[in-house]
Amino acid sequence: MAQRTPLPNLQPILLGVGFTLLVVISVATVFLVDRAATDTQRLTQTLSVEDKLSNVLLSVRRAESSQRGYLFTDDARYLKEFYEAEPEARQLVEELRTLTRDNPARQATLDAVSNALDAKFKEMTETVSLNQRGEADAARRLVLSDAGRTITENLRKTISEAIIDEARVAAERTAQSRQTSELLLYVTLAGAALIVLIGAISVVLVQRNSRQREAAQTELEATNANLERIVEYRTADLTEANEEIQRFAYIVSHDLRSPLVNIMGFTSELEALRKDIFEQVAKLSPDAVAPDANTAQPADPAPAGEIARLGADFDEAIRFIKTSIGNMDRLINAVLKLSREGRREFQPEQVDMNALLESIAGTVTHRAVELGARIEVDRLPDVETDRLAVEQIFANLVDNALKYGREGVPLLIDITGRANATHAIYDVRDNGRGIDPADHLRVFELFRRSGDQNRPGEGIGLAHVRALVRRLGGSIGVTSALAEGSTFTVTLPRRWAAGRRNKA
Amino acid sequence: MSSRTIEQPVQIVMIEDDEGHARLIEKNIRRAGVNNPISPFANGHDALRYLFGADGSGLVNKGKPLLVLLDLNLPDMTGVDILRRIKTNEHLKRVPVVVLTTTDDAVEIQRCYDLGCNVYITKPVNYENFANAIRQLGLFFSVIQVPSPD
Repeated sequence: MAQRTPLPNLQPILLGVGFTLLVVISVATVFLVDRAATDTQRLTQTLSVEDKLSNVLLSVRRAESSQRGYLFTDDARYLKEFYEAEPEARQLVEELRTLTRDNPARQATLDAVSNALDAKFKEMTETVSLNQRGEADAARRLVLSDAGRTITENLRKTISEAIIDEARVAAERTAQSRQTSELLLYVTLAGAALIVLIGAISVVLVQRNSRQREAAQTELEATNANLERIVEYRTADLTEANEEIQRFAYIVSHDLRSPLVNIMGFTSELEALRKDIFEQVAKLSPDAVAPDANTAQPADPAPAGEIARLGADFDEAIRFIKTSIGNMDRLINAVLKLSREGRREFQPEQVDMNALLESIAGTVTHRAVELGARIEVDRLPDVETDRLAVEQIFANLVDNALKYGREGVPLLIDITGRANATHAIYDVRDNGRGIDPADHLRVFELFRRSGDQNRPGEGIGLAHVRALVRRLGGSIGVTSALAEGSTFTVTLPRRWAAGRRNKA
Repeated sequence: MSSRTIEQPVQIVMIEDDEGHARLIEKNIRRAGVNNPISPFANGHDALRYLFGADGSGLVNKGKPLLVLLDLNLPDMTGVDILRRIKTNEHLKRVPVVVLTTTDDAVEIQRCYDLGCNVYITKPVNYENFANAIRQLGLFFSVIQVPSPD
């Protein structure tokens, strides 16, 4: 377990790192894509500058060939292109100025181009004008002076230098663009690789976690199964012990009964004999024969008074024996009854507790009216349990409440109930004489009673009730104070558990 | 029984291990004016030997008017076994059996009647009731008809 503990912390860290990397890669990608776009735009611009510069030269060449054609043919139609070329060239130079605004070297080139154009077109216009005025020779001389050719040559040089320079810039920019693209590719590849890596690590971690969870679950299941087995064994042990006690109680009470029949039988026989015995004794007594005899006789076996006293002692002894036998018989019967109850099989069914309590209240109506007692039954939750057992439980509690009223207080028995998810809880409350808190546990014990022993009873009822409640899987308790009344609280499971022993 | 006494009086076989109980039962039967012979047995084996004879066939008592008083709690066997053997024996099955015992278990009572017991009586601890019951049993014996010997 110790080496597994750092793992759950590693996962969020890994995920955090992965996420950060992804963000960095995304930002880099966006930046690089933007740069690639700029590179391309600049490259296009460079190529456009090259193109336009060439066109400027082309325009000048066209103007030149047009001028020469005119001079040669003296036909005005050749001048059409000559007139078109100048504005075209000027227009191109203007466009170039805009395109190369941020390049001082190019602006200088354009200044030079502009000057050259001025000079060139001035020279050509002059030749054309001379020819139009009919001074064809002067025009031809001007052409032959090579002034125009030199200008054109210079212009060509300037432009071709500029074009070479632009081509160099274009090459640079192409290289840069390729570099950016490569970088972009690497970054994207790295990102993809990272995503795959993090994904793989996550999968491994998840698998590991699920394996650990499975292992833990298996362990838990094993522990549970083991626990269940232990509980099963314990329950079996307890059931067996309980059955043993029940059998023991049953056999002992039966076997105790047998000698009791004899004791009672022969005591009664003795009682029957008593009359005969004392008649015989009285016959032997001198008093009976001669009532006037000398009372001072010390040898008198038994005077009448003495015989009567012996008779009284005899009767007293017999009475005690018989009372004790009666008590013992009741106790044995109580034990028998409890053990027999413990052997009864429960039949679980849905019990309408209100109907059951109403029926119990109905059977004690007569007594309740005699005592001036009132029994109130609230709305009670139903339970699935053994009807006979619950009936005995509540009949006993109601009977006790009726039995132990308080002098001068009209008895009120109030039965209320409530339920939670698993259990139904019933309160049987009375305003009777109450139970001393010291006796709260004792009252549930067999043959134990509390308070004034001025009511008939053997101390079996509550012991019986507690045994039944426990067998139903519930519990019982009491809250009470002397001269205030008692509340017996019975808690029963709402559903009958299949595993519960139906037989004790 | 009076009708039978002329030929052969009904013999009461009492199987009761508790001497005191046996004595009290006998006393009260006599008090009821029943004078039939009573053969007491304190354990199951002796009683079976008497009822079924040395060969165990029950032939010895064939045709004899008998009435069995049976306690269920015996030291050497349960009275239920004795009851079963009597009621399944060819020659003894018609002999009336009165179970007189301390056992008041409903299951046991049912079992005895199922096996063919004729009367089941629980011994009460209250002696008056006990004496009365036995005396009435005695009266019952005096009018009971046992099957004719054939």
